[in-house]
Amino acid sequence: METDLLIIGGGPAGLHAAYVAASNGIKTIVVDESFSLGGQLRQQTQRLTNLPKQFDSQIGITLMQTLVERLTDLDVTILSKHTMIGTYKDGRIGVSNGQRTIPISAEKVIVTTGAAEEAFVFPGWTLPGVMTIGAAQIVMNREHVIPGKNAIIIGSNDFALEVGKQLIENGVSLQGVIENEDQLIGCKEETIQFLKEAGVPIYQNSYVTQASGAGEVEKVIINHNGSEKEMEIDLVCIGKGLTPILEPFEILSCDFAYEKDLGGWLPQYSTLMETSTASIYVAGNAAGITNLGAILLTAEIAAISVAESLGRQCKEEATEKRELLWQELYHLESADSKAKFHGRIKLMREFQDNVDIQLSKLFNMSVGGV
Amino acid sequence: MDASTIVCKCEEINIAEIELAIKSGANTFDDIKRLTRCGMGPCQAKICTNLVRQIISESLEVPLSEIRPPRLRMPLKPTRISALVGNEVSSSVISVFSESAPQEDDENHG
Repeated sequence: METDLLIIGGGPAGLHAAYVAASNGIKTIVVDESFSLGGQLRQQTQRLTNLPKQFDSQIGITLMQTLVERLTDLDVTILSKHTMIGTYKDGRIGVSNGQRTIPISAEKVIVTTGAAEEAFVFPGWTLPGVMTIGAAQIVMNREHVIPGKNAIIIGSNDFALEVGKQLIENGVSLQGVIENEDQLIGCKEETIQFLKEAGVPIYQNSYVTQASGAGEVEKVIINHNGSEKEMEIDLVCIGKGLTPILEPFEILSCDFAYEKDLGGWLPQYSTLMETSTASIYVAGNAAGITNLGAILLTAEIAAISVAESLGRQCKEEATEKRELLWQELYHLESADSKAKFHGRIKLMREFQDNVDIQLSKLFNMSVGGV
Repeated sequence: MDASTIVCKCEEINIAEIELAIKSGANTFDDIKRLTRCGMGPCQAKICTNLVRQIISESLEVPLSEIRPPRLRMPLKPTRISALVGNEVSSSVISVFSESAPQEDDENHG
């Protein structure tokens, strides 16, 4: 197969990039390993705030529908149940549908493979009944199965607390949020208030000593401020955050950098969202763990850069659009975390030899505010 | 924490085995991989990467920013051998690993 643009991953970033690119007359293929598009939006039942201006505030599932439906009349080929498994020597991307491997020849590639949830080790963590918080949300909202009766959550970031709320709404008894630090990581007042009113104990300065049971989790011992407490628990959700998925970038010979605030190791990229490998772009959580608004904006920046390099947008127009998008990204992202945007600027400054006007403007923004 | 706690679920490698590898001179994930098979099972270190990095960091007192993930290789996901070979019976094995690649007329079947 041949195409102008190949997008790896049909989550929010991939779908938005496909729309922007195809609207500029670019022939696009989107590859996704799942049978349906939308990535992690498919089980987000909560209202998403901090979306870019062009989107109304809505829940994840309806945003997914919007992003998919917009592609109908455009030159976008969707290859669902197809997985990128490698590259050929001539640069073509090998995509497998389980039966055969299809080489795809693309002028440009945007990798939007997102993030993986962090694991967390304690004795008994391999028992059935221990899962990541994202897995619990998938089981609940996508498969409509209640993942357990008596639950605890390890970690207290906003996403973990939100899913904790959803567990309660689905009838699960949430018996504790276990946080290592002396304060909650999450800061969404509304969710914290909900958990307080539901009577969920918040254990700060605490950790799980062990989980045990015959073939599945039945009991958990936690250490709370130095004293041990035993609990009857059949569901342990690990909410320790996300880290960018690296495999496709390594195979594409992209250079990596380490930025703690962006989730650890990740591919380096420029203000065009282009990686160290020419014609390979990155967007979404793969370019640093962030909120949904920033995920969509990085995708749009990448798509506009692709349109420019394929001659579908003139330099001036593309530069102007990117500038506005970066400004919006700054506002949306720093509303959540200033450190995150700083991390992004640092990553780009270390990567781009010649600091262009765009980057110096962003740098000034990030240190001085607008 | 109990040193018998499993870190790599796929290959059932525990904390003690990883620490022993580090004591034996391992200072990267790849070293530990070669000594123990940690990260070499079906998930290809997708789950244990940062857990092992954390152990290396604590054991050797090196910041996490200096400990790289393991070398990541093709195929990126478990893939059947039959999906890697070409469609034509007469052709030699054609795969993402091979020097050659399927020709144009071989491409539009799926």
